[in-house]
Amino acid sequence: MWDMWKKSFDKWEDSTAKYLEHWMKSPLVLGPSGAMLTLVMKARAHAQEQRAKAWGDMGVATKRDQERTLHMLNQLQSRILDLEEKLDALNTSKNA
Amino acid sequence: MEHREAKRWTNLAGLFSRPKPKVGVTPADVVHRENKWRLLRYRPRPAGVAFRTPVLLVPSLINRHYVLDLMPGKSFTEHLVAQGYDVFCIDWGTPGPEDRFLSFDEIVDGYLGRALRLSARTAGAPNAHALGYCMGGLMTAIHATAHPERFASMVAVAAPVTFDDPGLLSRWSRTPTFDVDALVKAFGNVPWQLMQSAFHLLRPTLNLSKTVHLLDRAWDDEFLDGFLALETWGNDNVSFPGEAYRRYIEDLYRGNQLAAGTFSFAGKPARLEAITCPTLAITFEHDNIVPWQSAKLLVDRVSSPDKQWLHLHGGHVGAMVSRAAAKALWPQLVQYFAARDVPREAAPEVAREAAPEVAREAAPEIAREAAPEIARDAAPELAPDAGGPRPSNVEVRGHGNGRRRARSGR
Repeated sequence: MWDMWKKSFDKWEDSTAKYLEHWMKSPLVLGPSGAMLTLVMKARAHAQEQRAKAWGDMGVATKRDQERTLHMLNQLQSRILDLEEKLDALNTSKNA
Repeated sequence: MEHREAKRWTNLAGLFSRPKPKVGVTPADVVHRENKWRLLRYRPRPAGVAFRTPVLLVPSLINRHYVLDLMPGKSFTEHLVAQGYDVFCIDWGTPGPEDRFLSFDEIVDGYLGRALRLSARTAGAPNAHALGYCMGGLMTAIHATAHPERFASMVAVAAPVTFDDPGLLSRWSRTPTFDVDALVKAFGNVPWQLMQSAFHLLRPTLNLSKTVHLLDRAWDDEFLDGFLALETWGNDNVSFPGEAYRRYIEDLYRGNQLAAGTFSFAGKPARLEAITCPTLAITFEHDNIVPWQSAKLLVDRVSSPDKQWLHLHGGHVGAMVSRAAAKALWPQLVQYFAARDVPREAAPEVAREAAPEVAREAAPEIAREAAPEIARDAAPELAPDAGGPRPSNVEVRGHGNGRRRARSGR
């Protein structure tokens, strides 16, 4: 009984998935979905910009400024590691 | 049969109180940390490492690395370690808000390059085997276009290379109304929840189908543990660093620049034809995340004389981590690496061989002098004209059992 039900379920699932995939790929779905997502993202970014501007006007470092500084520190760490590797390679070739 | 039914309902009743399977437990040490990523080195088997060249596993940026080390008995990493390999793995970690500025080049050129160099240096080898899974395979292939000498071999598992397929992800990414800049500006790092919902849309009935499958096999404790481990991994995702995402979508998906040959990274052109290391592309028939046609292009384009394509049944994840994979795919991968390696006992011999091998990639004029000597030494029948260059379509490599054999490219 269960095996029969399972077989018919698998058949139904496969055909439904194919149908939904076909529907999801349609420009009629993708176009408006993309536009809606973009609209929401733009509104969110605008609100963040306004908040950052308010903090900036008070002379306080914004979240973005802090993130940029932290990223630069990470980049510096990578540069130092690059130099260490080059030094190691030089020492190795010297010893060889 | 009755016992099975009783077990099914007992297991289902206790599903929520069932102890979660431990994932990613193969013992490993952290050998390097940089920003959020770590390089893990798995502890060797008690008998020690048998092969000189290490294997570096490169997982996708947006999934946890332990998909390749799911749980004891279902771990590709554990399998490699048991076969005597020195195994390294990149754990990309969790990006912080400041990583919104982390570029694709920094990851592919900087971080991946360092992982390859450190793996080789730590293992005392001239280069490393690399196995990239999904996006990890794409990043590995891009890195190999500029630095093929860093690879003893490259295996790209379900790695997208061309993005003009008719799949949902490609179509969605190319939708003109979808503004990538707006997304990155609003979120910084692209939230994993957003990406996960996009993956769910690839097969909207998947959750229902999984539930039915769970009911069907709930009597099987081994299946249940594997299922829960995979679900743990599937729901433990990582956000995509913003700048890297922008480049990934704009240049790779929308521009399809890698396939077109116009992609560049860190100021270097990334042409697949420049890949000269042994290359194996693995694709899966029912992969709806990376259609196999998108991943196969790699072997069509690389100029390595030693290139292979392995096409298997199964989906994007299951075909790599399932019981069937453990029986069929993993041993093939071990053989692939072994055929391009030599046992550790033969290390001094390797050193003599490996140096010219690297040099051939880097400085052809040195290789011209050294190669005939190696060829003569290794397989006299392949080098009748020992004074001339080695035939370009024949590679001579040490074999896992210490014998030598010729490998001709497909």
